[in-house]
Amino acid sequence: MPERLSEYRRIAVFGGVYSNAPALRAALDDARRRDVDALFCLGDLGGFGPHPDRVYPLLRQAGVHVLQGNYDESLASGRADCACGYTDPRDNHFARVSYAYTFTHTSPDNRAWLGTLPRHRRVRLGERRVLMCHGSPRLVNEFLWESSTPSGLLRTLLREGEADVLLCTHTGIKWHRALDGGAHAANVGVLGRPENDGTTRVWYTILTAGPDLAVEFVPVPYDFETQAREMEAEGLPAEFVETIRTGWWTTCLENLPAKERARGKF
Amino acid sequence: MKMALPVLRREATGTPEAPFVRLSALWIQLTGTWCNLECTHCLNASGPRDPWLAPLDGAAARRAIAEAERLGVKEIYLTGGEPFLHRDIVPLLELSLAVAPTTVLTNGTLITEAMADALAALAQAAAYSLEIRVSLDDVDPDLNDRVRGPGAWGKAVRTVRRLNARGLVPIVTATEILDAERPTATGTYQRFRDFLLAEGVRKPRIKILPVFGVGRLEGRDTERLTEAALEGFDRAQLQCAETRVIAADGVYACPILAGQRGARLSDGGLEASFRPAPLYHPACLTCHQTGMTCRNA
Repeated sequence: MPERLSEYRRIAVFGGVYSNAPALRAALDDARRRDVDALFCLGDLGGFGPHPDRVYPLLRQAGVHVLQGNYDESLASGRADCACGYTDPRDNHFARVSYAYTFTHTSPDNRAWLGTLPRHRRVRLGERRVLMCHGSPRLVNEFLWESSTPSGLLRTLLREGEADVLLCTHTGIKWHRALDGGAHAANVGVLGRPENDGTTRVWYTILTAGPDLAVEFVPVPYDFETQAREMEAEGLPAEFVETIRTGWWTTCLENLPAKERARGKF
Repeated sequence: MKMALPVLRREATGTPEAPFVRLSALWIQLTGTWCNLECTHCLNASGPRDPWLAPLDGAAARRAIAEAERLGVKEIYLTGGEPFLHRDIVPLLELSLAVAPTTVLTNGTLITEAMADALAALAQAAAYSLEIRVSLDDVDPDLNDRVRGPGAWGKAVRTVRRLNARGLVPIVTATEILDAERPTATGTYQRFRDFLLAEGVRKPRIKILPVFGVGRLEGRDTERLTEAALEGFDRAQLQCAETRVIAADGVYACPILAGQRGARLSDGGLEASFRPAPLYHPACLTCHQTGMTCRNA
């Protein structure tokens, strides 16, 4: 018997929160004002920012449906690293700093809760079958950047996943592509850090059912200075704080494809 | 009376295998082992004289790209030898970029101002990223050229400058071949990063590869992977589980073993090569031990 899917008309979908409680709070407030039926988060609640435990009550109180990201899986299973897959030693250094801080400051209860989260979620948006994941449907830490994800691959992932719409996050930069036959793929962006465009805002995505699926990227201005100051107070790397204040990525640049890398400052 | 030769089954030989999981990366061995340089550590013993692995003709490369698109490939790599010796390099890059993000691996000695302009135009027009990997083994010209040949450093560094000036953010690829002569605290990565920043490259991209006992260093290593060594290891993480290489004489699972008889998986089409790959070569042990990937990241 086919799986019975929850059906929605309009949903808000968030990507990596990266311990950015002020941004999450702002995004939740914004989404509530936009008449959405449900809220989804595609995983990676921790990393990068300060006080990781602060995002959990916000997500629970808002009734957000949360998926497990690679960071969440690592924290839940007590892994020694974030499984971000860097080979560049500079990126690895910062990934280690971030993971060690997040692991230490995430409560055992929250870590255990991360272990209960699903890897995928299927819903129906009008007539369309939506498949949500963190990295890709096949790998939790696969990067699907706009300039490195062929439409042929997206069609394959949709066919194998028996879906019309694929939603992912993990890279940190949003994009949307309409495919043949009314299919769509979108990276919903992240709330945890700006997307390497020289502005401090972050982004989430609203999808609205209809004959043509509407995919709207929503900018979220938030109190980034509070976030930056708290990161400094917690002794997190100055390079991370710089990203929050300037909007330019300073670390973890290894996996950026040429087009995305060329657009950034570093 | 003629006796039939016994057929050795793989399990009888004890050679472990990597499963085929999916086709993520298609490598095209475009110029075989035809190269204008003759580096002392070359992974497939490329050089300017009589390549032992023939270049691929343009039509075969185009067929492979079309087949890979149908199979949902994620990225395509053009390699050799030196791919910029191939007369169809620019149209093949254009075709490949219409299908998937494409990387070309070069020694950087043949990219003129005009070629750099052509690459910039391709990159600008394409929806997917064009990645250009330029090989350099040391930031010091003398040390580098001892490995890569006289004049190689100057030409490659000029290419990095040309590409950088056009916003093409090349990936400088280095091996650890000269590490023994660099006993300082500054590792290979940091040395290259400092060098590129000093050259005005504000977005330095560096890939470090281990040295393999293959090609011109064949015979350096003799130890091989065993089933026991792979106990508990997820073989799907090996790049040969999701990589295939089209060469003039068949399809392989590993870019650095292309052309080696023991590594050939198919004489013809890509799909026929979708079967487990033997981990028979000492290079497989290096790959497993170092966790390296030939892919960009």
